[in-house]
Amino acid sequence: MVETVTLTIDGQEVTVPKGTTILEAAETLGNRVPHYCYHPGLSRPAQCRLCLVEVEGAPKLQASCVTAAMPGQVVHTQSESARAQRRGVLEFYLKNHPLDCPICDQSGECKLQDYVHEEGRAHGRSREPKRVLGRDDFGGDVLFYGDRCVMCTRCVRFMNEMAQDPRLTVVERGNRSVIDTFFEEGLAGSPYAGNIVDICPVGALVSKDFLHKARAWDLDHIPSICPNCSQGCNIDLHVRDNLVQRLKPRDNPEVNQHWMCDYGRHRYEWMNHGTRLVAPARGRGEGLATGTWEAVLSDLADELAEAREAGLGVRALASPFASNEDLAALRDLVEALGGGEIVFRSPRADQEIPLPGFPKLVRRRDLAPNVRGAELLGMRRVGGEDASGGLESLVGFDGILLVMGDALLDAPEDFGAGARVLACLGTHPPRVAAGATHLLPIRTHAEGEGTFTNVEGRVQRFWPGLHAPGEARPAWQVLAFLAAALGAEGEVPALAAEAFARLAADHAPFQGLSYEVLGTRGALVNDPVSLPGA
Amino acid sequence: MAFPYEHEREVRILSRGWGDPRTRTLEGWKALGGYQALEKALRMPRGEVIDEVKASGLRGRGGAGFPTGVKWSFMPKEKTGPQYLCCNADESEPGTFKDRELLRWTPHQLIEGCLIAAHAIQADHVFIYCRGEFFEAVQVLARAVEEAYEAGLIGKDILGTGIDIELTVHSGAGAYICGEETALMNSLEGRRGLPRIKPPFPAAVGAFGRPTTINNVETLCAVPHIVQHGGAWYREQGTEKSSGTKLFCVSGHVVRPGNYELPLGFPLKDLIYDVCGGFRPGRSLKAVIPGGSSVPILNAAECEDCTLDYEGVVEAGSMLGCASVIIMDDTTDIVKQVRRMVDFYAHESCGQCTPCREGTQWMARILRRIEEGRGTEEDMDTLLDLGDQMTGTTICVLSDSAAAPVASSIAKFRDDYLALIRRGERVGAA
Amino acid sequence: MSDHTKASGPIPFRNPGWAGNTGSFDLTEAQVRGDDFVGVRPPDGGHPSGAPSYPYMKADKAPDAPLFEGPYRERFEKILTRYPETRAALLPTLNLAQELRGHISPDTMREVAVLLDLPEAYVRGVTSFYTMYNKKPVGRFLIQVCTNISCNLCGGDEVLAAFLKHTGTELGATSSDGDFTVMEVECLAACGTPTAVQINSRYYENVTPDGVPAILERLRARGE
Repeated sequence: MVETVTLTIDGQEVTVPKGTTILEAAETLGNRVPHYCYHPGLSRPAQCRLCLVEVEGAPKLQASCVTAAMPGQVVHTQSESARAQRRGVLEFYLKNHPLDCPICDQSGECKLQDYVHEEGRAHGRSREPKRVLGRDDFGGDVLFYGDRCVMCTRCVRFMNEMAQDPRLTVVERGNRSVIDTFFEEGLAGSPYAGNIVDICPVGALVSKDFLHKARAWDLDHIPSICPNCSQGCNIDLHVRDNLVQRLKPRDNPEVNQHWMCDYGRHRYEWMNHGTRLVAPARGRGEGLATGTWEAVLSDLADELAEAREAGLGVRALASPFASNEDLAALRDLVEALGGGEIVFRSPRADQEIPLPGFPKLVRRRDLAPNVRGAELLGMRRVGGEDASGGLESLVGFDGILLVMGDALLDAPEDFGAGARVLACLGTHPPRVAAGATHLLPIRTHAEGEGTFTNVEGRVQRFWPGLHAPGEARPAWQVLAFLAAALGAEGEVPALAAEAFARLAADHAPFQGLSYEVLGTRGALVNDPVSLPGA
Repeated sequence: MAFPYEHEREVRILSRGWGDPRTRTLEGWKALGGYQALEKALRMPRGEVIDEVKASGLRGRGGAGFPTGVKWSFMPKEKTGPQYLCCNADESEPGTFKDRELLRWTPHQLIEGCLIAAHAIQADHVFIYCRGEFFEAVQVLARAVEEAYEAGLIGKDILGTGIDIELTVHSGAGAYICGEETALMNSLEGRRGLPRIKPPFPAAVGAFGRPTTINNVETLCAVPHIVQHGGAWYREQGTEKSSGTKLFCVSGHVVRPGNYELPLGFPLKDLIYDVCGGFRPGRSLKAVIPGGSSVPILNAAECEDCTLDYEGVVEAGSMLGCASVIIMDDTTDIVKQVRRMVDFYAHESCGQCTPCREGTQWMARILRRIEEGRGTEEDMDTLLDLGDQMTGTTICVLSDSAAAPVASSIAKFRDDYLALIRRGERVGAA
Repeated sequence: MSDHTKASGPIPFRNPGWAGNTGSFDLTEAQVRGDDFVGVRPPDGGHPSGAPSYPYMKADKAPDAPLFEGPYRERFEKILTRYPETRAALLPTLNLAQELRGHISPDTMREVAVLLDLPEAYVRGVTSFYTMYNKKPVGRFLIQVCTNISCNLCGGDEVLAAFLKHTGTELGATSSDGDFTVMEVECLAACGTPTAVQINSRYYENVTPDGVPAILERLRARGE
């Protein structure tokens, strides 16, 4: 039983666990007290002095980020004294700020802009020349604009407490204070340094990759899961013009808290382009021709039925980049064809890269988002650490070969030449396209809706952020259509939700899961893995 | 003796040995009765030592005036690990120059006070944090500590009582803010000297994360005398609420500036005209800062009936602070001096809290502009408003200290500002 | 005791230099400074209790001196014994490094970081916080003139101007012969004897513009 305290904030009563700060208690009511230095994942220096609120009976305004909520406390976040304090502090910030919003990447998502707009003074009173610090390249992906800095020291504290790579410090003191590294040392090579750009409340720390690339207000934010390792960090895709412009971490205390690694953050370009498969096709070699989905799928269904009649076996190659729904649909189709082995290949890094301050967050060795999902669906890992090789059981196979999501870049020329059916579902043309009997364009995770199962066994949803090119379809839909055509039970799902419901109904590890259970933070499968630091 | 001047109205307790080089030595200090109080205190239950100091009414001499015995009683009753005593010898408030004299003339007085206090609060280790510039005074202190160690007065089994206390003399490196007690602890720990948020208070979580008490040099120097002669004896000096004697650091435009040890409650005018010899011929009183640069300025009228005790100075419209009386005659350019003080605070702000970091520099810029004849009357309103925003809004009181002289000087010497501003208007129009 | 206590005419300053030349007593400079009692402390720091406390600014600096050898190594080792955490030795260690080398360069910060097993950026952050650490080389004599309020009321600005004039330097710069660096400093806590000037390790008090040439002469002649 958690001990609680009840207090009154802006006339509303609220009950929170003992030890909760006033700022956090206010947030549970939806009252956001403006702040810079406070960050829920870091220590609390209470130095920005913006979150000061009036507490009845206290002689001075109290820093709500460090003042514990007490029983019976009466707090006013909007009283004249609290507002005057914020107005004053905001004016202090603007005193030396360059007001360069038109060329600042943070513009539109800047807490200085927001707060000043909400309750700053209409006119600044400073007639003094501004301090000029200029720009400093911190190395890695980070650029520092000293003049925009509000000295909240979130970045310093992140590097000290979370990355535990204390390369940032405040140099000098007083009004001459500035954030810096050890002279020219910089941040290059620090694997989590990109987070300081995220937590900078203003445009002082910006990403070189994103520099002047897009305006914040033009970006759509689509909740997703980082596809670059099996940790399953919760992220947002920031999208403009049907292109992913950047990845940003999304809070999930169970997986990545507020953070993500630079490795994952900087690998998004592959979602944007490349030569995509845009139309279904059938026929081998010279005879390969595009057709309508209806024609190609009914042809494939017929061929699969014939092959099954002929007693030919089925083998499949899956991809750990595919969703749980896709993988389950592949499993279902293989079962409908009489059952057979499904293998997958996954690239693996040499080592894990943990975030020392939150050791549950690790850049995992498996550099794909759904290795665990594939394993839970009975698929077997083959091949080397670079996701090559391991195709021995497939190369000379004479039955039905189903390939989903693996571009087979290292496959021999004659891969699948002896197979009765070689159906490739992919986003990009496979190297063996010429040998395929059917080519079926599918969607990337950025274009579709679905779930991944992370290394721990946590099933997490992602949402579509990009329009799929041409006629690409969700793989689960294509595969379920084929299974139905082959006599499998159940309706072909029309929505991702239905595909997930079918997955949960049919596959033991996922039983009992639903979108409701997953919520926004995901839920564990029935046999999760226990992780160090969890 | 005294140093550099003496006056018959002084009551010299702490400053008794000043001006006599022999008091620096263990032998000389003992000749004045030194270390008898230590002998006595170490054989008293520590609670009784605290009670005696409480009875004396001794209040912290570093500026805040908090009762010393009460502060000591905040330390844990049950000791669970190391505890520390820090002696604040980071004297750097403009106008204050008493601790340096205490360090260099009577180092054993301080050592004795530290040891008694350490016993009372069960501290294992005393750190005397000296301001870095005190090369000479600290040499004297370090040599005296060495002597005391050699004589078995510090270290293991002091005077055969079984009590162990270590003492280390530590030098800072140039930061006014380290005179703030929590910044001092950070600095002692080898960090940037940033004041800490309270709670937790030092008596619970202080230096090195352990219960710690911090006392000013002058406070600790008074302790041996209180233990030796009793709290009631100490109360014979001073007023009911401000007992004992105080070192008044008098600087500025008087004939005999210097330290004078006087009973609290001493009339300010007597200090200026009698003790310090008044002004040079033809000059007269314009303003007094009675407690170091951090407190409001008094004008001549306010000085009339002001008595120099914690309550008396508040009544007159300022604060006693560390009793650093800066006296200004009628030739003083108030705006320039206020600007100089604000420059100081801007230079010394640690930079954590926004109102202080930005406000001190902003005020200094405005004041310089006014001084140069480019000010406006609105600037005075801005200054007052900035001062409001800098008062009571930060972790420590440095920004309050910067605001105090500005606000009080505008209130009391508005004509000085206007003269500069109007001159500026003429220059601008020409 | 003397006629000075009754003085009401001009302030009875005698020659400028140290506090003892003012007031009611006849004391030698050594007696006022405490040299009679301590003289110069040994480089190895003497008793460990005092090892972290008294760095000197010396006229003769050795920017390439190793950190630390001989008696300085002994002093460093003594410093380490005085604190419950190694980190706390940082300021005393930087003081010691500056005593040897005259200033704290980036390389010195790096070496100190290694000695104390602290991050380099951290050492930079701490070093830059404290004004007594010279971030670049200074002259043989670092002259720091207080211009804060009490000295200012009594002519601190003029004393500063006199030092600049007689050394032929700009504020913060070093004279061409390498002898003098003149800086403005905040209150030195010698407000009763204005103007207070710190030159290397020593305080000079009651300094007036007229007295500046004599002080510079003394520095050149005696090296202190």
